[in-house]
Amino acid sequence: MAEQKNSAPMQMPRVMGRGGPPPHARMGMPAEKPKNAGATVKRIISYIGKNKYLLFALLAIMLIITLTNLLAPFLQGLAIDCITLSDSRLNIDINGMITYLLLLGGIYLISSLLTYFQGIFAAKLSQTTVKVMRNDLFKKISYLPIKYTDTHQHGDIMSRMTNDIENISNTVSQSIASLFSGVLTLFGCFMFMIFYSPMLTLVSMTSIVLTLIVTRTLTKFMRKYFPMQQSLLGELNGHIEETVTGYKTVASFSREKRACDDFNVISDKLTDASIKAQISGGVMGPCMNVIGNIGFLLVAGVGAYFLIIGFNPLALSGAITVGTIQAFLQYTRNFTRPINEIAQQYAMIQTAIAGAERVFEIMDNPPETDEGKDDSFSVENVKGDINFKDLSFSYVPGEVVLHDFDLWIKSGQKLAIVGATGSGKTTVVNLLTRFYDIDSGSITLDGQSIYEIPKKKLRGSIGIVLQDTVIFNDTIAQNIRYGKLDATDEEVIAAARTAKVDEFAEKLTDGYNTVLTEGGSNLSQGQRQLIAIARAVLADPKILILDEATSSIDTRTEVYIQEAMLALMKGRTSLIIAHRLSTIRDADKIVVIDKGRVAEAGNHEQLLAQGGAYAKLYNTQFAGIAT
Amino acid sequence: MRKVIKYLKPYWLIALLCPLAMILEVSMDLIQPQLMSDIVNFGILGTAPADENLRYVIQTGIYMLIFSLIGCAGGILSAAFGTITAQKLGNDMRKDTFEKVMHLSFQQTDKFTTGSLVTRLTNDITMIQQFVAMSLRMFVRTGMQFIGGIACLLFLNVNFGLVLVISLPIQLIVVTLIMKRAAPLFGIVQDKLDKVNSVVQENVTGARVVKAFTREEYEINRFDDANTALMETNMKVQKLLAILNPLLMVVMNASVMAIILIGGLQVEAKSMEVGSVMAAVTYITQILMSVMMVGMMFQQVSRAMASAKRVKEVLDTDPVISDGSSAQAEITQGRVEFKNVGFYYPGTAGKPVLKDIDLTVEPGQMIAVLGSTGCGKTSLVNLIPRFYDCTQGEVLIDGVNVKDYELDVLRSKIGVVLQKSELFSGTVAENIRWGDNEASDEEVKNAATIAQADTFIQGFNEGYDTMISEKGASLSGGQKQRMSIARAILKKPKILIFDDSTSALDLSTESKLHEALRSSLSGVTVIMIAQRIASVMRADRIAVIDKGTICAFGTHSELMQSSEIYRDIYYSQMKNEGGEQNG
Repeated sequence: MAEQKNSAPMQMPRVMGRGGPPPHARMGMPAEKPKNAGATVKRIISYIGKNKYLLFALLAIMLIITLTNLLAPFLQGLAIDCITLSDSRLNIDINGMITYLLLLGGIYLISSLLTYFQGIFAAKLSQTTVKVMRNDLFKKISYLPIKYTDTHQHGDIMSRMTNDIENISNTVSQSIASLFSGVLTLFGCFMFMIFYSPMLTLVSMTSIVLTLIVTRTLTKFMRKYFPMQQSLLGELNGHIEETVTGYKTVASFSREKRACDDFNVISDKLTDASIKAQISGGVMGPCMNVIGNIGFLLVAGVGAYFLIIGFNPLALSGAITVGTIQAFLQYTRNFTRPINEIAQQYAMIQTAIAGAERVFEIMDNPPETDEGKDDSFSVENVKGDINFKDLSFSYVPGEVVLHDFDLWIKSGQKLAIVGATGSGKTTVVNLLTRFYDIDSGSITLDGQSIYEIPKKKLRGSIGIVLQDTVIFNDTIAQNIRYGKLDATDEEVIAAARTAKVDEFAEKLTDGYNTVLTEGGSNLSQGQRQLIAIARAVLADPKILILDEATSSIDTRTEVYIQEAMLALMKGRTSLIIAHRLSTIRDADKIVVIDKGRVAEAGNHEQLLAQGGAYAKLYNTQFAGIAT
Repeated sequence: MRKVIKYLKPYWLIALLCPLAMILEVSMDLIQPQLMSDIVNFGILGTAPADENLRYVIQTGIYMLIFSLIGCAGGILSAAFGTITAQKLGNDMRKDTFEKVMHLSFQQTDKFTTGSLVTRLTNDITMIQQFVAMSLRMFVRTGMQFIGGIACLLFLNVNFGLVLVISLPIQLIVVTLIMKRAAPLFGIVQDKLDKVNSVVQENVTGARVVKAFTREEYEINRFDDANTALMETNMKVQKLLAILNPLLMVVMNASVMAIILIGGLQVEAKSMEVGSVMAAVTYITQILMSVMMVGMMFQQVSRAMASAKRVKEVLDTDPVISDGSSAQAEITQGRVEFKNVGFYYPGTAGKPVLKDIDLTVEPGQMIAVLGSTGCGKTSLVNLIPRFYDCTQGEVLIDGVNVKDYELDVLRSKIGVVLQKSELFSGTVAENIRWGDNEASDEEVKNAATIAQADTFIQGFNEGYDTMISEKGASLSGGQKQRMSIARAILKKPKILIFDDSTSALDLSTESKLHEALRSSLSGVTVIMIAQRIASVMRADRIAVIDKGTICAFGTHSELMQSSEIYRDIYYSQMKNEGGEQNG
């Protein structure tokens, strides 16, 4: 890993920026605004559409609910009209009223029952949609080339998986319902209003115009301050993450005060932006209230006037009654409500779409290619004869890491690679495992190009122990079992013995069942490496790669496991990368890599006798011993 | 909760204004239906001449407009006051918590775990903020709507009370029953979400291993399990909540119908106006809605309580390691002495990591510490800058117990290069300047040169101004180590500690580093933990640690004679060639 990073240390940050590929993705300053909202929405809908029947059932239910909700005020109006039907004095048609009330009750019951199903269906729809989306994204991440995880901030990928998907989930479950029923309600209310009185409808439209104006002005503010709040929040979280995880360094440099000062500055800025954002959001409610009241007044006033002069042109419902006005007023309310709701969810929908875009951005990355079609390749029959020929490779175009690289590792050979930091040692491993693909030349395994071998089989025949050990949040036994999922307990313990994991594992209270914390912080670096070695032992691969696998293990323990390592390497092709010459001296062949090509090759004695780079390295290590 | 109230104090005036403004808004809201009903009763249905009726409508309408504008102002003000209070309070709390975290001792941060500290500082505080804003506004609002609504309804006609007596208890029971069952589920949802996140985290950071072992499908299945569990728990919550709404709607609508019926009878009996029935419908809706709101808020309250508890835990933790008493103590020489030192990690039931350590390092000496994996080397050096305190004996610097120094004084004279290099976002130069903010460009370059970092830094396109991406992910281990070393050198410490921090350097680079250290840092006491014999051989003395005690101490040649373990280590690295080299 070291080399590959070395080779292009500064190109990467530029590619990565502070925010991964899409510039707007992380702290991406002002724009939480989606780039191509239309296409993204279409894609979200196609995800929702995977549950076609559920979706249609939900829409049907919502349609009925909206209808019942529209009918209710109508019936209420009729019921109240029973009180006021006669002209001169108040008269009550109790029978009629009870009939209407019973009807109303029936409608309410139906709508309640349906609301329950709506709730269930909507939850089911959003949950399954999001589950599928999460699974798809994870699958995608699993099959992305290593290059992607190497060049993208892990925090960013994580946040897409969690925050962004969570936003989509909330929006799907909340907004779809309110959008759909909102549009239906709008339409239905409008129809009823026209039915009652086209003139009054016209009057109440003024309040709609007002609503639109207010929402537009307010969203302008919200669009300015909400993203600012988001980006500052990101900055603050970044600072917290960095200082808290790097706390040891902070403490040893007595930087606590400085860290607090920096923190306070960001925290204050965030508070400021948040206050502005929240207030601009909080103004919406009261303003809508006023507008609602204005609408009410207009309708009441004009309605009263019409009532008095008996004027209701173009109306299908006949002359205006008190019941008409009552019903009309309710419809006006119902009419403005969905507009408010949509306006209030506007910011949320925008964020969700922007989030979806980030999710799809990962999904649209080409997965790891696998042109290996030779299914007849059998892992069991691998002999392990590896040949690098005329190879050239660069991580970043123009910065060659390996060139004219030739290396032949014979079957069963134990080959060590030595070289200065940045000379390209790890790159050899990256290419053999096809984490990265060569620019030109060829790599063959048993005479067959590795590009013809399915990746799964290629990697299945290679066991690899890396410098940066990966420990999963699971028991020691499970961590070792990662090498061979169906291994029995006995096999696991045997592998543990070989790698000397038993030495410390058996001392722990829970033994092999001790759960390791993420990053394995309850183990020393060396102990983690031993577990990684046990994993490779259990995997029992044809080809073994040890990339600085013992760098954190003290040399005595190393000698201790040396025997096991030798046994492990016996009969396999082994590739060892190490700084420590003691680790590699026994190799059948040692190659020194310098400036991207093989500079020297031979066994220990030969190379020492040559007096070249290897001899120099060797003597540096033991300089002064004789004196 | 008391903690939250304490933080509320500085803003009590604004905090008080918020509900006051809210009261204004709600009272205006409560007057509205009354006015509306008047408009219907006396304006539209009035017996007076038509134009007078119209005038009445207009006149009352103007009142209504004025009241609603006042209400609007009240609403905006209370939103503003509420937001300001919540944000400022959260800000104060966040700053205090962060400062607290910055001064916790390692054993305490270990206990909390960094991940949890980050969540406490971010999510939990946001939760509390939302809660404060909500309680200032929503509680007052719903409370007033509830009480005011009842008052107004009864004022309209006492008989409406009958509806309330029946519908209110039903409503309350429904809400409490469902919320009681939902509350524990919220916690479970959080746990399941954590699981999902941790699988993703492991896969992103461990991508190479997953791929190398071709475990993609296995991981996808593992993720699917976690994901499905999350979805199922979510569904449970949603199903429960899905019952709530329709049930409440049934109660509410039944009440509305009852009001219309009762109202109708009253109107017939001439004891009520039609408009009042309409007003009553509005009031009962308000009352029952407020009960529903309380139910919804309950969910947030229980979450905020949990968050407040977590933040309080941090705030109430006093650092175990604090400044010593002798303020005038200074480190001038850099003599380090361990006297009969013993140590065990807190919470490990006294299982000793170190015992009976006696060691003196003279000023300017270079001491190497050697020993097997997990033998206690790091624990030993951690005692010097008081990352941990020894549990037995004492550690002295220049004859003064480290516990007596002020922490800043102590740590400012000790440079530590940790096993794991931690870099921070900023430029290369800024990272090195951690050692000394005031350092000139020359000094920075000089420190980097000693640390063998200058050459590769110069190789970057932007040299010392190159931005380090998060935690230096794009740098190799060796590069990170050398930058950490430069950072420690720039500090001009009296004591410099290397905790196995040259492991990723190739040998020739390491030997150059040693030479540079020798020539540029004479007079600085160096304590160096290492694995490679070549790294330790140049030291003045070498301490070999085995099972928590110093089993051998001396120069290389002395140890070759006297210490079997040292010889073992030596030969493990020299092996067959060793003899030949050694002559």
